[in-house]
Amino acid sequence: MTLTAKQYIHNIEQTAADLGNISIMELCGTHSQTVAQNNLKSLLPKNIKLVSGPGCPICVTDQTEIDLVIELAKYDIPLAIYGDALSLPGSEASLEDLKQQGKHIFTVYSVADALTLQKDWPNIVLFGIGFETTAPMTAWAIQQGLNIFSSHKYFPPAMSALLASEKINIDGFIDPGHVSAIIGTQIFQQFKIPQVISGFEALDMLETIDILLKNIKNQNQTVVNQYKRAVNDQGNLKAQKLLKEVFENRDTNWRGLGMIPKSGMKIKAKYQKNDAEYIYRDLIEKFKKTYQPRPSACRCGKILQGLITPGDCPLFKKICTPENPQGACMVSVEGTCRITYENRQ
Amino acid sequence: MKTDNKTIKIEQGSGGAQSAELIAALRNAYHLKNNWTNQNDDAAVYDLGDKKLVFTTDAFIVDPIFFPGGDIGKLAVCGTINDLSVMGAQPIGLSVSLVIEEGFSRTDLQKISESINKISQKTGIPIVTGDTKVIDKGKIDKIEITTSGVGLAHDIISNSGARPGDNIIASGDLGEHTAVILSKRFDYQTDLISDCQPLTTEIQSILPYLHACKDPTRGGMAANLNEIADKSKVKIVLSEKNLPYKKAVTSICNLLGLSIFDLASEGRFIAAVDPDKTDNILAQLKNAKIIGKVETGSGLYLKTSLDTLKEIRPSSGKLIPRIC
Repeated sequence: MTLTAKQYIHNIEQTAADLGNISIMELCGTHSQTVAQNNLKSLLPKNIKLVSGPGCPICVTDQTEIDLVIELAKYDIPLAIYGDALSLPGSEASLEDLKQQGKHIFTVYSVADALTLQKDWPNIVLFGIGFETTAPMTAWAIQQGLNIFSSHKYFPPAMSALLASEKINIDGFIDPGHVSAIIGTQIFQQFKIPQVISGFEALDMLETIDILLKNIKNQNQTVVNQYKRAVNDQGNLKAQKLLKEVFENRDTNWRGLGMIPKSGMKIKAKYQKNDAEYIYRDLIEKFKKTYQPRPSACRCGKILQGLITPGDCPLFKKICTPENPQGACMVSVEGTCRITYENRQ
Repeated sequence: MKTDNKTIKIEQGSGGAQSAELIAALRNAYHLKNNWTNQNDDAAVYDLGDKKLVFTTDAFIVDPIFFPGGDIGKLAVCGTINDLSVMGAQPIGLSVSLVIEEGFSRTDLQKISESINKISQKTGIPIVTGDTKVIDKGKIDKIEITTSGVGLAHDIISNSGARPGDNIIASGDLGEHTAVILSKRFDYQTDLISDCQPLTTEIQSILPYLHACKDPTRGGMAANLNEIADKSKVKIVLSEKNLPYKKAVTSICNLLGLSIFDLASEGRFIAAVDPDKTDNILAQLKNAKIIGKVETGSGLYLKTSLDTLKEIRPSSGKLIPRIC
């Protein structure tokens, strides 16, 4: 039964009174946005802390991958990029800087846009970023003959990595609603922690926090699906089939979390004629021989693990702003630093 | 990461904080003022003694050039008429300058000229001068229109006149112009039509009750109400349950990951008005509604449906959709 906001808050206060300091991690960037847009933190008791996890795909993209894509652009390979990724800071420049220098970089809103561009730019490469939510569209586009640089990632391995980390102290997860709509609910049962798959309205999240606190209090680790209107147990079988057909897993680097086993989506050999990593393997090999990532004081890594807040970073608001982002968390509108900056929390 | 100030960036044209910085830099380059004043408002003012001459100009590039509810011609004349109108002026004459790409359709040019003429006749504001250039194919995107205009006013409505206790009103639902352009660009099916229209009659009908007034074009409510709050040294609190956005507009924003507060309207105004006269205003303007209050303090806030207060800042950067 759906309650009113006031009733949820009342329940949350009651449960929280029986608990010590609790940290809940939201695992989807859109959840972090809902929290900010409704200033939900101001409604929660002081001992309940919401921290943002690695749920923004732009933010967790590894520096080397960004620099590698920038390298492709330098060789005049036309690129199709989602708008968010355009201002991702590379070691020397961003894709936006290269675009202004006249490199062929196009902002797209979907794989369909990239396929349209392909008519004029036959060798255009789509920089594929995202979790199980955006990857099925990429998989479909490969089958249509679009060249792809895959930075796509499987989300559940990141949850394993977070739970395995000794530094991280999380009492409950708000599981990603969009990802769950694709992968279903069963996969989350392996994680021994209270968790609720949540919708994205403010009321959804209040209900989620209410359920989660009760389950934390009762040490109940069943996966609760609050977002039943979009998420079912099996998930989207058609999308899952596409993912299986096109991608295989590989170990991959996440900004902030490091190397996570089997978390990367690698394009299978069957589709290698459209895999930019295969097509440009010589160029990539050469790049990797001399490549050294730029050292930076940016604390994105720790922020993505929920270990520190943006205000703890020496660059935040001083030299790192949405106009001049130093790290990925300030680039995306789903990034913790960007959300904190925009909402002056 | 280098900070590149050597080139103009796209976000410096989006009406947010970075646009303001560019405009300030340009204004600093011009030193001579004579008898003109311009407090960073929508137009410059020249004191004629018993009246004031108000002067403004605006350049228009839009893709697509034809959209439900209007075209680039209507947009260009309404834009200048409205910039004069929100200053409290009655526009008396406009100029229209065209830069046309080689190969542009003659029929389309005819349609654009007709819609300019239609607004001119409807408002009684003549097009009195203009210019035409044709430029090599590929040098501009189809057509660019610059309009300038002069108007006369008794009293100027500045953006610094909002006072604690005032109501904030919107003259109608907001954001429909941007929503229409986006839906055309992304091929979404909607019933929305652009809000593009001249505002002179509406504003003149309630002129004595207006303390501050803006047409929320570029930068939307976020930029324009922040500007009124800043210049008037007050705090503005909007109420989420009274926000003037149609469901279709909100849905398009959600789909593209944009903030409704950044969307432009091309035929609406938002104003801080006398609380005692608000009923007269609402009786006069049937689509207007109260959307918020002016309080002491600073900044622009939204009182959410959960009763929390959330700050709304001018958008920084360009309007880009997020990926998931």
